[in-house]
Order: sequence, then structure tokens, then C-alpha cells
Amino acid sequence: MYCKLAFRNVKKSLRDYLLYFLTLSFAVCIFYVFNSIEAQSVMIKISTSEKEILKTLTQLMGIVSVFVSIILGFLIVSANHFLIRRRKKELGIYLLLGMKKNKVSRILVIETLLIGVISLGAGLFAGVFASQWLSIFTAKIFQADMTGYRFVFSSGAFLKTLIYFGVIFLVVIAASTFAVSRNKLIDLFSAQSKNEKPAVKHPALTIVLFVLSVICLGVAYQQVLQNGIMHFDWILLREVILGAIGTFLFFASLSGFFLKLLQRIQGYYFKDLNFFILRQINSRINSAHVSISFVCLMLFCTIGILSTGLGMNAAMEKSLSSATAFDVELYTWGGNPTSISDDLAAKGINLSDYSDRTYEYKDFVNPAILRNTVLTEDLQLQLQTTYFMNGIESTIPFIRLSDYNTLLGMQGRDLLSLKDGEIAFSYSSTSQGLRDAIAEKWNRTGKISLLGQEYSVYPKVLSDAVVSIGEDCNLALVVPDSLLTDSTGAPAVGFSPSQSYLQFNCQGDSETMQDKLESRLMPFYTEESSPNYYMISRNNLEASYAGTKAIIAYVGIYIGLVFLMTSAAVLSLQQLSEIADNRQRYLVLKKIGADDRLIDRAIFRQTAIYFMLPLFLAIIHSIVGLTVANEAIRSLGGLNAAQNILITAGLILVIYGGYFLATFIGSRKMIVREERNG
Amino acid sequence: MSNMLTVTQVEKYYGNKGNLTKALDGVSFSIQEGEFVGIMGASGSGKTTLLNCISTIDKVTSGQIIIGGKDITELKSRQLSEFRRTKLGFIFQDFNLLDTLTAQENIILPLTISAVNHREAIARTAEVAETLGITDVLAKYPYQMSGGQRQRVAAARAIVSKPAMVLADEPTGALDSKSSRMLLESMEKLNVDLTATILMVTHDAFAASYCKRILFIKDGQLFNELIRGQHPRRDFYSKIIEVISLLGGDVSHVL
Repeated sequence: MYCKLAFRNVKKSLRDYLLYFLTLSFAVCIFYVFNSIEAQSVMIKISTSEKEILKTLTQLMGIVSVFVSIILGFLIVSANHFLIRRRKKELGIYLLLGMKKNKVSRILVIETLLIGVISLGAGLFAGVFASQWLSIFTAKIFQADMTGYRFVFSSGAFLKTLIYFGVIFLVVIAASTFAVSRNKLIDLFSAQSKNEKPAVKHPALTIVLFVLSVICLGVAYQQVLQNGIMHFDWILLREVILGAIGTFLFFASLSGFFLKLLQRIQGYYFKDLNFFILRQINSRINSAHVSISFVCLMLFCTIGILSTGLGMNAAMEKSLSSATAFDVELYTWGGNPTSISDDLAAKGINLSDYSDRTYEYKDFVNPAILRNTVLTEDLQLQLQTTYFMNGIESTIPFIRLSDYNTLLGMQGRDLLSLKDGEIAFSYSSTSQGLRDAIAEKWNRTGKISLLGQEYSVYPKVLSDAVVSIGEDCNLALVVPDSLLTDSTGAPAVGFSPSQSYLQFNCQGDSETMQDKLESRLMPFYTEESSPNYYMISRNNLEASYAGTKAIIAYVGIYIGLVFLMTSAAVLSLQQLSEIADNRQRYLVLKKIGADDRLIDRAIFRQTAIYFMLPLFLAIIHSIVGLTVANEAIRSLGGLNAAQNILITAGLILVIYGGYFLATFIGSRKMIVREERNG
Repeated sequence: MSNMLTVTQVEKYYGNKGNLTKALDGVSFSIQEGEFVGIMGASGSGKTTLLNCISTIDKVTSGQIIIGGKDITELKSRQLSEFRRTKLGFIFQDFNLLDTLTAQENIILPLTISAVNHREAIARTAEVAETLGITDVLAKYPYQMSGGQRQRVAAARAIVSKPAMVLADEPTGALDSKSSRMLLESMEKLNVDLTATILMVTHDAFAASYCKRILFIKDGQLFNELIRGQHPRRDFYSKIIEVISLLGGDVSHVL
């Protein structure tokens, strides 16, 4: 009998809270899809280094999934809390009819299990199919070919989803059992008639709080715009905390403030159902301002994560081609620039097997010429944070013009010619912004003073990407040979060779050759000894770029989707349960002559304002946040901000707007149906 | 005086062929402008159904209900809400005040729904509040008022739009005797001073004794009619009790 009762209840709640079950299933679906990434790789042709990165990605997804499951857990537990609250009277009737508390709990347990099984089943089913599509996306990110379609089923992700959501549902069961055992019969019965305590705040206090919140937000905005977000330090933390406090205060005082304000405009206030709507929203926000604040912050995160995540992706897309011009680069470390090609020859590796033309050269440093001699402080900071470069006081490498031109020649590019006493900056990173900044700084004066002597600066910052990426942060000075070495090749006074570089393009099938060389060289790197140089191949770079792209894209989309869905679902549930709680009010309105159109409009406006408020503040947060973030990303490479924001906005419009519409339709139906029953 | 309400052969059936309930079974009566009429009957006698039909919340199965010259059984849904808005005022048993609104806002609601200019609406609210003696609670919320004050606010809301007829459904049902008396005196005042036509459904003989005329309903049919005339209220009350004892089923209810 209990089963039958539970079945019928679930059927009824499925109809009433369809949105909630869809959310649940969608959450399960997303969870499965993003945990099954590794399994999808069987469909794609990828190199070993890409496989490694996919493994890292899977591990990262595991960590993110814990975080995601905590958020979803909160959503599900609080949604269940709503549902139980709505059914207190029903539970009271069971108890009144003489059903024992543990029997009532058992009904709830069966119901939760049923809901769990249904949503898990539907979600996993959808997830298995959705993950097939994600494989195509993965292939695109790694720019790999599909090896042909194969139906992918990840038992690992399947089990993981079952376990995680199983735990969440167990918590829900515990919570609802607790709710039954704790409540007295009288409380269960009077639950419906009990009004939420009206939060009567003093008008003056509301105004003070509102002004305070605006000040908090203003200061936070101003500070973050001024300081940027490149440094994660206590200043940034302070800004974030200030912003969060401002957000909470904003929602705590907003409705009271506006209510007071609009009451003054009587012509507006006493028009149609305006004051009724305002009062409803006021009471709603007063009792739910904490969750609205959280929703607002989550939406802000969603907008930020999605648009910067997509932006980073676009930035990285461009950067690979501009990062390196050669297939293979070897470079020494440890300040002893021995010949790399000699060592390779000694190891029995014949370079001519791999390339028809290689070139080895050295760079030079002067302990008296440091980075901060040639860079302004903020340029240094930008460099430092972008490349995690340590020590802005480190020396800046000098490269001979002849070496530079040889490299250019190997690339078949136009040679560089420098006038007497002219030097050039080379910075072959993706960061257009930083390059522009360097160019702007030195073009203004056109002169640079080194070791007491003045040089003119070549008007362009070189970005041919022929200087090794092994070179620390890519920033170097290209100078006439005579400045660094005399005719015999001995270094000039004050200068000393710093690192050796060996660069070349592979002949034949480049990818295979790169892998072949790497596998020849690898055995020499042992615990006991290893050569004093590293090798970087284009393969490595491509894999790490694609991997980073995949990580940013997947983590961004995963967290963004979950946040967006969770916040919309929270708002939707709250609005639906509020309408259900207050249906009496709407029926009264109908009885005293408000027609359906007026009531529809009241519900629409109420729902719209309820959904728009957190989004509104989140958008303002995002405008500030994205301005700063774009600044940061621009230093990593170009960013098509508008396009990413449009994509994000579209996503929000579809998901958030979908929830809004469903909530509005659900609310309307609830009142229409109640009218028929009443 | 003209007829405010004419009910002709109204029938209301519930259920299907196998299980038919005749909630109203050929009820006919009329109420004149400025009358204060009570409808009495036991639980399940059909009095609330009758009130619902008159208040256009429910639809009759057959028959005619004419209010102020208009047959409301022929109105469409949109017209119905407009009719309710302009011609009828409601007082419910459980007040049905909106607890998020102040007394003033509750009273003004029917006016703003009818798109009355806000200055006029505020003035009329104040006027009605004055009549019912609730001026000092206008700024309060329902939960800050006593039961009697709440019901008088509800009464003020019912009459603020100057309806052709006020429909009261067990208005004293949730009040103690002192508050009941105050509310009924207010309603009497509305009837006499403002010549409001009032139709009140009740099963409380004391409340009914404030009416000028009482219709008794039993099993969906009109059973009896009492007219107060020039009699004092106390005598009228005794008469009501007599009729109720005739109604039989309701004796236990009254005692």
C-alpha cells in the first residue's frame, strides 16, 4: 500500500514539478558526459602526448565534479525541502489517520528512491547519447580525425554518476526523514496557514543599507578596475569580499528601498495591481535575499567563466602559429652553453637524418643590463605574471643580427637590416597587447641608453617567432654582431654567452620525425644523469595547447552550465512554491473582479522581476569583471570579446529564459487549476 | 423601488447521470434595492452554492439570475470579471485580506483594478474607512489588527467600489461575539446610511436577526421566508429560532 501511495505521489509531483525533474535529469546527463571524456578518445586519432593530456583532463574533471556535485547536492536537498514543506499538511493527514512516523518516512523514502531512479535513468540515458556528440567536439579541439564512429559507453563515468547521485539522494532521504520525525502534528497542519514573518524594516535602515551596498559595490568596482586581476593577492580577495558583501546588502535592502520610493509616486503605485506586485516581490525578496544573492553571484561566475573561457580558447587558437616557427628546438640550461649538436653526435644521433638544415647559435647576456633597464615596471609585471617568470632583475638576452638573419633565412623570410647603432626588440609571443606596449614605450623616445651609450630603437617589435621558445619569456634584443662579439667570435667586454640553441625543421613526415627524435633522445634522460639541454617539438606544443584549450573549454562549459542551471532552478522552484503558497491571494483578486489578463500580467511581472533582478546585478558585475579579464587575456593574445559575450548571452537567454518561461507557465497553470478545484 | 436581484427557477446539478446531486432545485426569489436579506440553511442546504451562482463564481445549470437588469448567466468570462468588479462587493468568512498589503491597500484594491484615478481612490478609501471606524488602522497590516478590525476592513473593501450589491458569505463565522456584533452593526449602518443592498449567507440566527428579510433554504429548495417588518430585533430572533427548529436538521447545529 505504501508503494502505491508513493507511486501516486510521485506521479503527481512529476506533473507539478516537472521542471525540477528535468533539471535533475539534465544535471545527471551533464555529469555523465563530462566524466566520460577519456572513454570518448577511442573514436579519435591522437598522439601519445595528447593521450596524456586527456588523462590529466579526466583527472581535473574528477576534481571539478566533486565541486559540481556539492552544488547540485545543495540544489537537490533544498528543492526537496521546498517539496516537503508544500506537503506538510498531507503528511499531517497520514499521521492523523494513525500512520506511524516511520511508515510516513518510508513513503518518503520510496518516493525519493523513485524520483532518484527516474531522473538517474533518464539523465544517464540522455548522457550516453550526448557524450557521442561531445566526442566530435573533442576531436575538433585536438584537431584530430575521427577514426570512425563507435558507440561509446563509459562504465567508469556511469558508476561514478550512480555513486555521486546515490549519495546525494541518501542525504535527501535522511533530510526528509528528519523533517518528519522532528515535526509535531500541529506544526504539520498549521504549516500552510503560517505566514512567513513579515520582515518589517525601518525605512531609514533600508535606505542606509541600500546606500551602503552601492558604496561597497562602487568601491569594489573601482578598485578592481584600477588593480586588475593579474595578481591573486589579498587586495583582490578584499575586492571580491567587498563585492560579495555589497551584493548581499543590495538584495537585503533593494526591495524595501524601491517600495518606499515607489510609494511616493502614488499615480504609479496605486495603478492596476502594481502595489500588489511590489508587495509580493518585497516579501519574497525579504525572505529569500540570501539565496537571490547566491544566484546573482553564480550567474556572475557563469557569465565570467563562459565568456572568458571561450575567449581564452580563441586566444590560444592564434597563439600556436605565432609561438614557434620551427618543428624542433633544443636549448641548454644551467649557464654552460656547450654545443648541442656535438653532444647529439656523441650520442650517435645524426641530425642530418632528421633535417637538411639545422642551425645552432648562442645568446649573450650582460649582468649590467637587466630587464628593468629596458622595460617599464608594469610591462615587467605583465611579463612576470603571464609567464610566471621569476626575477624581474634577471638579465635580458642579446642575439646577434647574423644569427637572427640565418634563422629568418631558414624560414624563407625577408632579412632584417639594422642601421649602425640601432637595436631591435624581439618578442614573438601571442600577446599583441604587450608587443604594442613595448613598441609604444620605445617609439616615443626612439632612443635607448645601454651602458652609457645611446642606441636608436628599430620601430617595430620583431615577432617572427624564430627565436627559440625555450628562451625565457621570448623577450630578446637583436643587435648588430659587433656589439656582442669581435671578429674572432670572442664575446665583447661585459658580455658572456648564456645559452645554446639548436633549431630546425624536420624533413619528410614531420610529426613522425619529431616523435622519432624524441624517442631516440629520451633514454638519455635518467635518474642519474641527463643532457644539459631540453627538446621541444611542435608535437609537444600542439598537444599542450590543445590540452589547455580542452581543459579551459570543458571546465568552463561544465561549471558554467551547472551554475546557470542551478541558479535558474533555484529561482524557479522558489517562485513556483511561492505561487502555490499564495494562490489564495490570487483567488481573492479574481473574486473581487481582477480578470485573467490582469492576473496573468501580475504573475508575469512578478516572475520577470524575480528572474531579472539577480541577472541584472550579475550583468553589471560582469561588465566590470570582463573589462578586467579582457585586459588580462589580451596580454595572452587577442580576444574577440564581443563574440564570446554574444555566445554566452545566447546560452543564458536559452537556459535562463527557458526556466523563466516554464516557471511563468507553471505558475499560471497552478492558479487556473486551483480556481477549477476551488 | 426596483428589483436589484431576480432569481428565476435556478437549478444547479453536480455529478453525472448515475450520481446526481441537486444543489439547487428550482429556486426563485427577488431582492429589492436597499434591502438587507439573509439566506439561512443547514450545511449542505445549497446556500453557499446559491451565493456562488449569484456572485458569478459558479455557473447555474438552468434558470436565470438577473442583477441590476442584466442576466449574468449569459455573460462571457471577460464580462463576468468586469461585472464582479463594478457591480458586486464581497465579504468572506475568513476575511481574505491580502496579508502583504496594509488595510488601506486592501481596501483600495477593487478601485485600482477598475482603473479608478488614484486621487479619487484614496479619497474614497478614507471615506469608507471613516464610515466603518477603521481610519486609525489604515496603515497597519492585517496581522497587526484584531479579528473585528480585519472583518471591517474586508467590509470596507466590499463597498468601496459602490457595488450594486454586497454579497457576504458567513461574515461572522470567524469572529467572537463582540466583533460579530460590531461588524453586523456596521453592515446595518451600510444598509441604512449608504442604502447598500446586502445579501448575507449565514447559519447563525443572531447574525441573521440583523437582516430585514430572511430566506430559508433546505435541500436546494426555498423553504420559508421571514420578514422583520417593524418588529424589534429580539422578537425577530425568536422567530428565526422557531423556523430553524422547523428546518429540523439544523437544531443540533444551532444548539
